[in-house]
Amino acid sequence: MTHNLKTLLGPFAAAALLAASPAIAQDDYPSRPITNVVVWSAGGGTDTVNRLIMAEMEKAFDGATINTVNRTGGVGGSNGMSYVFGQPSDGYTLVGLSESVVTAAVQGGWDQRIDVWDIFIVGGSPDLISVTANSEYETLDDLITAAKDNPGSIRAGASAAGSIHHLNLLALENGADVEFNYIPYDGSAPAQNAAVAGEVQLVVTSLAEQQQLIQAGRLRPLAMLTPDGFTLDGIGDIPSAFDSFPDLAEYLPISQAIGFGVKADAPDEVKAALTEAFEVAMDSDAIKEFGRNNYYTLSGATGEESKKIFNNLEALFAWTLWDLDAATVNPEDLGIPKP
Amino acid sequence: MGTFDQLGAFGGAIVSMLLDPWSVAIVLGASFLGIVFGALPGLTATLGVGLLATLTYGFGYQTALLALIAMYVGAIYGGSYPSILLNIPGTAASAASAMDGYPMAARGEGGRALGLTTTASFIGTLLGMVALVVLSPLIVEVALGFTSYEFCLLAIFGIIISGTLQSPDLVIKGWIAGFIGLALSVIGRDPLMFYPRYTFGLPALDSGLEVVPVLIGAFAIPQIITTIRTGAPLASRQAMGRIVPEIGTIFRNLKHIVRSAFIGVGIGAVPGVGEDIAGWVSYGAAKSTSRHPEKFGTGEPAGLISAETANNACIGGALIPLVTLGIPGSPPAVMLLGALMLHGLTPGPMLSISRPTFLAELAAVMVLASAAMCINGLVLARQVVKVLRVPSPIFLPIVAVLSVLGSYALGLNIANLYLMLIVGVAAYLLTAMRYPIAPLVIGVILGPMADENLRRALMVGQGDLTGFYTRPVSLILIAAIALTVFSQMPVIRRGLARLVTRGAAKSA
Repeated sequence: MTHNLKTLLGPFAAAALLAASPAIAQDDYPSRPITNVVVWSAGGGTDTVNRLIMAEMEKAFDGATINTVNRTGGVGGSNGMSYVFGQPSDGYTLVGLSESVVTAAVQGGWDQRIDVWDIFIVGGSPDLISVTANSEYETLDDLITAAKDNPGSIRAGASAAGSIHHLNLLALENGADVEFNYIPYDGSAPAQNAAVAGEVQLVVTSLAEQQQLIQAGRLRPLAMLTPDGFTLDGIGDIPSAFDSFPDLAEYLPISQAIGFGVKADAPDEVKAALTEAFEVAMDSDAIKEFGRNNYYTLSGATGEESKKIFNNLEALFAWTLWDLDAATVNPEDLGIPKP
Repeated sequence: MGTFDQLGAFGGAIVSMLLDPWSVAIVLGASFLGIVFGALPGLTATLGVGLLATLTYGFGYQTALLALIAMYVGAIYGGSYPSILLNIPGTAASAASAMDGYPMAARGEGGRALGLTTTASFIGTLLGMVALVVLSPLIVEVALGFTSYEFCLLAIFGIIISGTLQSPDLVIKGWIAGFIGLALSVIGRDPLMFYPRYTFGLPALDSGLEVVPVLIGAFAIPQIITTIRTGAPLASRQAMGRIVPEIGTIFRNLKHIVRSAFIGVGIGAVPGVGEDIAGWVSYGAAKSTSRHPEKFGTGEPAGLISAETANNACIGGALIPLVTLGIPGSPPAVMLLGALMLHGLTPGPMLSISRPTFLAELAAVMVLASAAMCINGLVLARQVVKVLRVPSPIFLPIVAVLSVLGSYALGLNIANLYLMLIVGVAAYLLTAMRYPIAPLVIGVILGPMADENLRRALMVGQGDLTGFYTRPVSLILIAAIALTVFSQMPVIRRGLARLVTRGAAKSA
């Protein structure tokens, strides 16, 4: 039951610990428990991935404790990020995040760029476009032809405006030069349910989110929105949308990136220790199996590589939201370059 | 896989778990913890399952499932404790239980009310489990047919019916409270296009009003202020009646139980809708079919039984789309999905192929979880009733501290404390003017669903409203809403009464 109690009191204990801890020498990092603050709620994709990678990193750190807590609210996870940003740069407070936190600044959640973090990317699941199982559209070409005949008539479901799936849908519209009637949903699951029920004719979400419905024969996959196709067990090959519409390469892929970050001004030894543990964890069977079972593309990007990915995501999201009139702060004022 | 194999797997799972002292300890412990989570303001089933997900990461998947389901069942049941004993619902789901539970406790039948709740919850969970195993394929079809039109109407129906049932004074006051809640719920970024609404540029309002601080503020604070102001004791001396199940009462209310279980399963199976509405709809149905509707709200066991059976039957319902398609049917089921994925189990159609005995095991786990809840409940009830003997000057500060902690713990967000306080004072003023509070909370919970789906339905129909009455389920919901509203109008009520007497006279 002690473990039990610890988990329950986690948020409180962690807060107390952090408040009381003085800055100490870093050469034996980690010498006390690390707290990973996930900015999205418990049970979601970001939370699940973070809990999993932290459990593996605990092992890599020879049993050091990492407590994962959730600190939600604000805009684009700004509440959790602001909290971690206000903690000492000693590597004892990490932030669990996903690609969508790059919207926090343009939406007025906080006033920092995404590069205040050094991010460790575990991975994400690729997006694809599917239609209702009994749809008349057998291929992406059918769908695009129909959409060109009647612009704006085909109902397309995706999560809320400015979300990663909406960005993928926009990119598809731009790359294939078509226009859909975009119907926003509060999350991927309701968007998919609507496609199953026929409320929307097509849906764009990730493979991880869709695969059960595809396996159940409720959705028919048309194309992956990535340069490569995908072979789904029991279903067969899902071609890449790039095959028929090469222009898509100009706009896609826009990939999910789930992982965690440490303050960029943390000592180099801390970052090195984290990188080492992260690499061991990424190589573990638990992570590989999770990736396989859930159709995640594992990344493992750190340092400059992940910085580049996140800077691109930031530019893309920020300017899309600004163009949609859904941003409150001009990305230019934040110094975010146009994509 | 044949029925016999499934039965064998079911029996085998039960026996193997019962023979393992570790499993027994876990199911009892998790169930107890769940009851505590349900009973404490601010700690919810969703949060409890989420937290246990981490803790059980190191266990085998069956043990983890046992702990998580026991937590879920316990938390849904535990919410009824503060509802019955203090008139402060621990969860929105148990607000309907306060309607008759609290009057029972107030007249000294707290022990009896808890006993009935325990039995009803136990039966509800089991009936939900049976539905999960037997009716899954059928129910999932209907539940998945819900589109934006139906979701919007269902949310409005939920608000209207809780307003109708709760009103101590004029019915319209209940509806007004419900619509105040609805109005409050639109604060924040709109979930579709992400525009800020009524945020006044304050980042704290950007993500909208959190339900938990509103719930605590609305239920706990008025009760605290009232008790301090009047100096009245929380409840009269409790006659320690029998806490063990009353077979007679249960048997007499069999039709309420069966109907409530169906309502609970059905509502639980619809994705995104859960215990919050089930209790109210079931309570409403019980009241309108009862021969003594006037007794409801004064401590009528049938009302309490209906609400509690439906709450717990919801669990089995919520698991139906989760197990068959990987779509969680309620907020705690979302957490359960996350937890199962940590164990490499992705619920959905593939699960029945990769692990053919899963459904049987899940059924076994639900049986054990509800048994554990029942044992814990019967042991606890006698002790918990003693809480009412604690003098108010000692007890109320404890409730206040727990309320503050509960509001803060969820998102570790200080703004939630201010929210709780403001809502609490407003709720007290409304109570003083004889407005019911539960509809307001239901309005805040269901508001986003009504708002978002109405707007989406308009987008889908490109401004056309015909979908609201040309689809069968939406037509039924419209009829239900209209019936609920019109049946409260004095003119129509008198007309109906005349019709009934004339009919009776004719047939006589």
